[in-house]
Amino acid sequence: MELLVAQLLNGLVYGVLLFLMAAGLSLIFGLMNVVSLAHGSFFMLGAFLGLAIVQVTGSFWIALVLAPLAVALLGIVMEVLFLRPLYARGHMDQVLLTFGFTFVFYDLVQTVWGRIVLRLPTPAILQGTVDIGAGVFSAYRLFLIGFGFAIAVLLWLLLERSRIGAMVRAGVDNAAMAAGLGGNIALLFTGIFGFGVALAGLGGVAAGPTLGLYPGMDTDILIPAFIVIVIGGMGSLRGAFVGSLLIGIADTFGKAYLQSIALFLIYLAMTVVLLIRPQGLFGIRYADAPPSAVARTMPPSTKATRAVGLIVLAVLIVLPFGLPDYPRALIAEIYIFAIFAMSLDLILGFSGLMSLGHAAFFGLGAYAVAVLGVQFGLDAWIGLAAGVALAAAGAALIGFFCVRTGGIPFLMLTLAFSQLVFSVALKWRDVTGGSDGMALAEQPSFFGFSLSHSLVMYFMTLMFFVAAYLGLRRLIDAPLGHVFVGIRENEPRMAAIGYPTLAYKLVAFTIAGAIAGLAGGLYVIYNGFISSDAVYWTASGDILIMTMLGGAGTLIGPPIGAAVFLLMKNVASSYSEHWLAIIGTAFICCVLFFPGGIWGSVQKLRGKAAP
Amino acid sequence: MNILDIEHLNCAFGNLIVTDDVSLSIAEGERHVIIGPNGAGKTSLINQIGGQLRSKSGRIVLEGRDVTGQAPSRISRLGVARTFQRNNLFHNLTVFENLRLALTAKFGNPLDFFSVAARDQVLAAHAAELMRKVHLDGQGARIARTLSYGEQRQLEIGIALAGKPKLLLLDEPTSGMSPAETARMIDLIGALPRSLSVLMIEHDMTVVFSVADRVTVLYYGKILATGTPADIQANARVREVYLGMAH
Repeated sequence: MELLVAQLLNGLVYGVLLFLMAAGLSLIFGLMNVVSLAHGSFFMLGAFLGLAIVQVTGSFWIALVLAPLAVALLGIVMEVLFLRPLYARGHMDQVLLTFGFTFVFYDLVQTVWGRIVLRLPTPAILQGTVDIGAGVFSAYRLFLIGFGFAIAVLLWLLLERSRIGAMVRAGVDNAAMAAGLGGNIALLFTGIFGFGVALAGLGGVAAGPTLGLYPGMDTDILIPAFIVIVIGGMGSLRGAFVGSLLIGIADTFGKAYLQSIALFLIYLAMTVVLLIRPQGLFGIRYADAPPSAVARTMPPSTKATRAVGLIVLAVLIVLPFGLPDYPRALIAEIYIFAIFAMSLDLILGFSGLMSLGHAAFFGLGAYAVAVLGVQFGLDAWIGLAAGVALAAAGAALIGFFCVRTGGIPFLMLTLAFSQLVFSVALKWRDVTGGSDGMALAEQPSFFGFSLSHSLVMYFMTLMFFVAAYLGLRRLIDAPLGHVFVGIRENEPRMAAIGYPTLAYKLVAFTIAGAIAGLAGGLYVIYNGFISSDAVYWTASGDILIMTMLGGAGTLIGPPIGAAVFLLMKNVASSYSEHWLAIIGTAFICCVLFFPGGIWGSVQKLRGKAAP
Repeated sequence: MNILDIEHLNCAFGNLIVTDDVSLSIAEGERHVIIGPNGAGKTSLINQIGGQLRSKSGRIVLEGRDVTGQAPSRISRLGVARTFQRNNLFHNLTVFENLRLALTAKFGNPLDFFSVAARDQVLAAHAAELMRKVHLDGQGARIARTLSYGEQRQLEIGIALAGKPKLLLLDEPTSGMSPAETARMIDLIGALPRSLSVLMIEHDMTVVFSVADRVTVLYYGKILATGTPADIQANARVREVYLGMAH
């Protein structure tokens, strides 16, 4: 009984912390239609700034007030300088911009405070425990629960009873309409963004004494907060509150009593809610977002482009002979990720569906090779074929649920499913090795040549890359590819001229999954090792960055993006510890100044040059 | 046999009744025009026939086959084509690509993932013929977004005609058009073969009376009257609630 009460209270503590995150996230989404992946970063920054303030002033309470204000200021600067120019574009660019910021903030925190887990001191008055009748409980944790509930009530009063609250509610219903009625919508957006991140910062400070401070705490709180607003309903304060407490308590009890499947249960709950009530328990149904900002169909290949293609291929064939082992291996890795990025582009750029869970299929392909090789002693090439089949089957199954949605719900749902795959990879240690991963016993041979030779590896990956490129190019030029583009451009119209669009979207998703599985399988053959990290959501984010960086909606862009990303990562990480910040900044600049990515911009220049 | 029979159709958004016990039949080859003031439920009725909107009760029967509640793609493949009140094109694709997408659904093989779509001569010939029909001859390479408003509406009709439909649903084909464009649209509709039945929503009375075999007046979701244009003009209640309102 005492244990049960203690667990319940712990669940409430976690729940109110989630609420502070989810409330802001939900308001920002509801009002501005922006899903901020940087929201966890503001939570983290709040905690670390709080620590700095405590170190200077010695007072937790001053930190609790000042740190959120500092975070709000940062958020306001970010909104005005970076987000505002993007409102006219699709939500895709905004999601990507905030993703770029997570790199920068992570690097900042890691640089200033290091990687060890720090702790905010518990304020003196709340040290010790309180006897609550059913056992003793930490005074600070009790305070947290009360504090969280008080903030919830204040927020509710603010939204329901004040003029600003009325404006926000009107804006959530219909931003354009609210602006027409005389609200200064730009100021409101900035205010709400600042307010939302201040709540996250407040949550960070409040969490400091219990959860600990470390780089990476941003993601650890962001993903559950996402789940909360998906379950509770985006744009709904009540949804954020109920969802937070539900997830907080479920997670705490799950970890205590059902350790191996706790993660699984939460993602499963989210999936079920999304399928039954796509708008969440208390949410409003949002219209699907407009199609992405990608250009028109691909220009048909001409003799000139074919000649250029052959020259590039010739260069790629000659190139490795002049290079030492390390760059050869790096380029081989680029080929693998180019395949992965092109597969994502098939759904992102060509079918208009933004997935934040594509690493799941990469992982299925990778684990098929590794598990079949290590546990059953099967040849890696058989494993690769099995991996492609498994990834295709997984994509067909997951896609069956996901393609019913579009826009942000699609992004959330793919994220949830991929985290489901991740939690299986993490928890099913006997088979997958969990976070320690598993290594292939021996590298397979490639037509009798040993892949331990870097030149063989290079040409093996090049061959697969060229095959994938040509295959996809053919698909894009074929009637089926044109159907995908038609769905991206105008799905209701496609339905009205006789295309069962859901089925076609599922076909696109399945093909993309199969090719991602191919990339994953090749990666294990290349790397000889796979761990659950490869399926984590940030891996999906990385591949999204590569695709967008190079240019979604083109087939040449994603390989370029993969090359730039991996070169930058390797070069920057060997010269500077701050490669995360460098990549993040480069990416932010790319979103801001090169809409359409590197190749998209090149094409635009060429289009201008041509008469 | 009638091409379309609507029987006791009902539909509502929450408390707002948009279709109130509507029954309507369209004979093969008939030009049937629906008129009615704003908010009368005209577009909602078209949306129910096209499958974009679900009815609460009642039946929609196409050539004797009950199609109530079918998906838009299915209804389209059964021979019902439509245009939308607001231009609903593939704005970033060329005129030719717009038409080819529509043609592929019916005459091509949309699951073909290997042959080069741009080299399909049969569909290209079909598309050229369609462009002639909707007065867009030689405009195939233009991006739909860059067409004039009237041309975009013509392309809409081209897309709708691509599947060789039996029933064409037109939602205000002349709205927002200049008089010259409207005249061209009347010609275009007049030149459609009589094997094709047309159900259209229209506000412009000159268009209504030059095109229609029969006219139905909708008023707050209910059918107020159905008959020949002459009947409708003579109908006292119609004059009172609708035609009179225009003056």
